[in-house]
Amino acid sequence: MGLNKLTLLTSTVRLGRNVFAGRFAKTGDCLHRFQSRRSVRSSARSLAYAKDLFLGKVNKAEVFPYPEISNEELEEMNQLVQPVEKFFSEDVDSKKIDHEAVIPPETLKGLKELGLFGIQIPEEYGGLGLSNTMYARLGEITSLDAAIAVTLAAHQAIGLKGILIAGNEAQKAKYLPKLATGEHVAAFCLTEPGSGSDAASIQTRATLTEDGKHFLLNGTKFWISNGGWADIMTVFARTEVVDKDGQKKDKITAFIVERAFGGITSGKPEDKLGIRGSNTCEVLFEDTKVPIENVIGEVGGGFKVAMNILNNGRFSMGSAGAGMIKKLIELTSEYAGTRKQFNRSLSEFGMIQDKFATMALNAFVMESMAYLTAGMMDRPGVPDCSLEAAMVKVFSSEGSWICVSEALQVLGGLGFTKNYPYERYLRDCRILQIFEGTNEILRMYIALTGMQYAGKILTGKIKEMKRGNVGVVFEILGKKLKDSVGTVDFGLTGKDGLVHPSLTESAKMFEQNAGFFGSTVESLLYRYGKTIVEEQLVLKKVADVLINLYAMTAVLSRTSRSISIGLRNHDHEVLLTNTFCKDAHFKNNFLLTQLQKNSPENNDANIKKIAQEVLAKRAYVCSHPLDRTF
Amino acid sequence: MNAPRHLFRIQCIGCVTRFLGTPVQRVILPGGAHLQTPGSQHSNGQFLRSFHCSAVCTTSRPNRTEFEKAVEHPTQHKDKSLITHDDLFERAARDSNTKADFNRVVDVFNKADIRRRGHVEFIYAALKKMPEFGVERDIAVYNKLLDVFPKEVFVPQNFIQRMFNHYPRQQECGVQLLEQIENYGIIPNVETKVLLAQIFGEKSHPMRKYQRIMYWFPRFKHANPFPVPHVLPGDPVELARFSLTRIADDLDAKVTIYQYPSTDITETGQEVTRPHILGIQSPDQRSLLAKHNPCRPVYVEGPFPLWLRKTCVHYFLLKADPIPPEEKVVEEDVDPELIGPEQSLFYPQRVELDLERDMGDDESFYVDDVEEGLVYAMCMAGQGDQATLSQWISGLQETCPILGQIPTVFRLESGPRELQTSSDAQQTPEQEVEIDQIIEDEPQRSQRVN
Repeated sequence: MGLNKLTLLTSTVRLGRNVFAGRFAKTGDCLHRFQSRRSVRSSARSLAYAKDLFLGKVNKAEVFPYPEISNEELEEMNQLVQPVEKFFSEDVDSKKIDHEAVIPPETLKGLKELGLFGIQIPEEYGGLGLSNTMYARLGEITSLDAAIAVTLAAHQAIGLKGILIAGNEAQKAKYLPKLATGEHVAAFCLTEPGSGSDAASIQTRATLTEDGKHFLLNGTKFWISNGGWADIMTVFARTEVVDKDGQKKDKITAFIVERAFGGITSGKPEDKLGIRGSNTCEVLFEDTKVPIENVIGEVGGGFKVAMNILNNGRFSMGSAGAGMIKKLIELTSEYAGTRKQFNRSLSEFGMIQDKFATMALNAFVMESMAYLTAGMMDRPGVPDCSLEAAMVKVFSSEGSWICVSEALQVLGGLGFTKNYPYERYLRDCRILQIFEGTNEILRMYIALTGMQYAGKILTGKIKEMKRGNVGVVFEILGKKLKDSVGTVDFGLTGKDGLVHPSLTESAKMFEQNAGFFGSTVESLLYRYGKTIVEEQLVLKKVADVLINLYAMTAVLSRTSRSISIGLRNHDHEVLLTNTFCKDAHFKNNFLLTQLQKNSPENNDANIKKIAQEVLAKRAYVCSHPLDRTF
Repeated sequence: MNAPRHLFRIQCIGCVTRFLGTPVQRVILPGGAHLQTPGSQHSNGQFLRSFHCSAVCTTSRPNRTEFEKAVEHPTQHKDKSLITHDDLFERAARDSNTKADFNRVVDVFNKADIRRRGHVEFIYAALKKMPEFGVERDIAVYNKLLDVFPKEVFVPQNFIQRMFNHYPRQQECGVQLLEQIENYGIIPNVETKVLLAQIFGEKSHPMRKYQRIMYWFPRFKHANPFPVPHVLPGDPVELARFSLTRIADDLDAKVTIYQYPSTDITETGQEVTRPHILGIQSPDQRSLLAKHNPCRPVYVEGPFPLWLRKTCVHYFLLKADPIPPEEKVVEEDVDPELIGPEQSLFYPQRVELDLERDMGDDESFYVDDVEEGLVYAMCMAGQGDQATLSQWISGLQETCPILGQIPTVFRLESGPRELQTSSDAQQTPEQEVEIDQIIEDEPQRSQRVN
C-alpha cells in the first residue's frame, strides 16, 4: 500500500483502530477500547464506497485492502466458535424444532450459557462485546438452525439494538445486563396490521399522562418475532410533538417497554411456512404505562432509531447465508459422490457440477461481501454502511434461495421428502427475502439513495447541459470519446494497483462496468430528474448493477489479500473470483444497455402493460388454448 | 354479403335522424326503417335493387341485373304465395308458438309435396315468422329451413351455368337466409356449409356469403370487452345486480340489497308492493362520502337509462356538486422524514433534486381534466319514487353515518312509466309501438358488437 494512502487514512480516522492498523495492532484491548467508544458519536466519515460508484468513482481506500482482524481477536473468536459449533451439531435438533414449532427450553438455556444472547453487548454490561465482524462469524454457525438464528437476531440485532446504539447510560445499565445473559428476551415492535411498507399508517399511539411522567401506549403490533415471550420490547409509536413553528405534529418515538408494565397481551403464535421454531405473534398494548425515562433517544426521534437499528443489522445475513450454503455443499456433495446413475456417480454429470459451482460461487461472494461490510462497520467513527448492508441482504437472500433450491434438486425426489433437511432449509430460507425490509424496498432504497447522492452533485452540470452550455456539452462529449477509445482506469491494476495481477482481467471488467455505471446514472438523472422515483423498473436495474459491482469489489479485494498473504487454496479463490466477475460483468453490461435510451433490449414498457392488463381484470387474461369461436 | 353496405346505410339514417331529432325520426323512418327489420327480406331485396342500379355497381358487376330481375319475380307474386304460407304458420301459432311448432310446420311442408313446390316462398315466409316463434337465434332451425331446398338440383353442372347466375331466385333466397343469420349475429356451423354445398354447390353465391360470414364473425365474436348475455337474468334483483356491477367498473365495489321485492296484504285488504332496492358502492366512494362536507347537500338524481340489448333499466345516482377549490382538503401532511430520501424502512418516496424529467422522456400527453361532481353511490329500484329512494339513502347511512347530517335533495325526473325487466318480454301492444322505435336498429348494433 502506498504511503500516501496511509497518511490519508490516518488523517480521516484518528481514533482507534482501522483496518490497516489492524494488521499491525499490537494488543487486543484496543478493540475493547473502541467498542466502548463506539456509542460516542464522533465525526461521521465522509467516505462512502457504494454511493461514490454512482458518480463513476471507485473509492479504493474504503475497500482495499480487505479488512482483517488481529491475531488476538482471531484466537478469541476461534475459542468462541468451537463450543458454539459443537453445541449446534450435537444439542440442536432442528427437525424437532421445526416440527413442534418451538425451541426447547434446554436448547435456549444452552444458547444463553454460551453467551449468544449478548454477542454485541459490551463486556461491562455482561455481554461478549464482540465486533460486527465477530458477530457475522457467529452468525454463520447460528444460521444452521434458522429458527434459532431468527430468535437470536430478533433479540439482539433489532430487539435490544435500540438501547445499545441510542439508549442513555441509565437505560443501558438497567436493561443490558439482564438481556446479555438471556434472562430477559427482547423484541422489536414496529410493524402494524395496516403498516407494512406504508409509512403514514403507524397507528400505535403514546399519549403523555397529565402528570407528564408517563406515556400511555395503545395499539397493536403485528408479526413480532419473540413477541410471545419477550420481556423487554422496543416499541415505536406516534407521539404528539410541538415542532419549531409551534405546530403540533405526530412524530414517531421509540420506547423501552417492559412486559411488567402491564396492559400487554400477546396473540397466538403465527403458523408459518418456515422458521417455525421462532415465536412470531401479535402484541397488543392497552394503556400500557411507560415511564418517560424509557424513551429511547428523544421524543419524536424514533424513526431515526428504527432506521439505524435495521440498517446496521442486515449485513449479517450474508454470513448466515454463506454458513448455510457451506453446510449444504457438504451434505449434497456426499450424496452426489456416492449416488450412481448410468454407472457413473452424479458428480460426474455436468449439470450436477453446475449446481455445485453455483453454490460455491454464491457462498464465496456472500461471505466476501458480508465480511467486507462488517469490516467497514467496525472502523471507527459512525460509518454509514446502510447501502452496503442492504446490498448484502438482497444478494445473500436471493442467492441463498437459489442455492438451497439447487441443493434440493441434486437429491431429486429425496430432497422433496421430510427425511432430508433440504425442504426445511428451503422453507426457512424463504423469509430472508421478506423480513428486515423486503428486497423490493431495499432495492428502491439502494438505487434512490445513490441517485439522491449523485443527483445533488450532478444537478449543476446537468442543468448547464440542458441549457445548452457548449462548454459542458463538449466536455461530456470529449469524456465519452475518451471512454470509448481507451478503457476506464481507476488504478486498480498496473504497477501500483491494489488488485493482484492474477485478477487483472476481472479488475478491468469491474472498472469498465463502474465507468459505464457512472455515465448511465448521469444519463438517467438527465432523463428522469426527480421523477426517477416513479421508474421502479429502472431503479431495480440500477440496484442490481450496483449490487453486482459491490460483489465484484468484495471478491476482488478478498482474493487479492488471500493471494498476497498466501492463504490456503487461494488459487481456488482466484478461480471463483474470475468466474464471478466475468459473469457479473456481462450481466451488468446487459442491464446497463437496457438502461440506455431507446434500447431495444429494454422490455419495461411491455412488462408494465402486461401487468396492467392482468391487474385490471384481476385474472389471467388469455382465453384457453382449447377455446373455439365457431 | 351486403352487410357493410347495410350498415353504412343504417348509419346514414341514424345520422339524419339524430340530426333532425326524434319527431322527424318518426316521419322518416316508416319509409326506410321497416326495411331494416330483420323479417322483411323482400324489402331488403327491393332496396338492394335500387342501390345496385347505380352506374358504378352495374359496371362493376354486370350479371347483377339479371340476378335482381330474378329477385323481382317473386315479389310480383308475393301477395298470393306469401299469404298461403303465412297462413300455415299463423295456424300453427294459434295454439302455441315454440320451436317444436315451427319445426312441425316445416315438416308438414316437406312432406306435403315431394317436389317442394313453392319452397322459396315458404322459406321467405318462414324467415319472417321466426322471431314470432322465438327461434330467430337458433342455427339448427336455420339449417332445417335450408334443408327445405331440394338438393343437387341447383348445383351448376357445366362452365356456362357456373359463369351465369344459376337459379338466381333460389340463390337469392339462400343468401337472404344467411343474411338473416348474419343480422342476428349467430355463427353458422358445419352443417350449414354441408347443406349449402349440397344445394348450391361449392362456388355459389350463398356459399360465398357463408364464407364471408365465417371469415368475419369469429373475429368479431369477442370484440366487445363488455358482453351482455343474450338471455338476461329474469329475476329483477339479479338483473339489477348485473346492471350495477356493469356500470360501476370497480372490482371492489359491493352490491348491497336494501330490500327484496315482496307483496304484503294489509289488514284492510290493500295490496302493498315493496319494490326491490339494490345499491352499489365502492370503498373509495365510501371514504369520499365520509369526507363530504355536511354543509353541502347531496343529490339523488335519476332515473338514467341503461340499455342491455333490448331491455332498458334505470338507475339512480347519489351525487354531489364538484368541491369548490377553496374547500379542497389539503393532502394529509405525512412526516417528510418517513417518506423522504435516504430511508430504508419504508421505501423513499421522493428524492430531493432540482431536476425535472427531460422532455425527450416525457411520454405523457396533455389531458384536460374536467371537474365533475362526485358520485357516491348508485342504485336500482323497482320504483323510482322518492319514498323508495329514501329507503336506499337510509340503508346507506348504516355504512356512512355522516349521510344523516347531510341534507339530501331528490332531483328526480318524471320516472319511466314502467321499469322494464325481462318479464316484460312479451310486450303489451301499447308498449310495442314505443319500444319498436327504440329497437329498430338493435339487431344491427348487436351485429357490430358481436
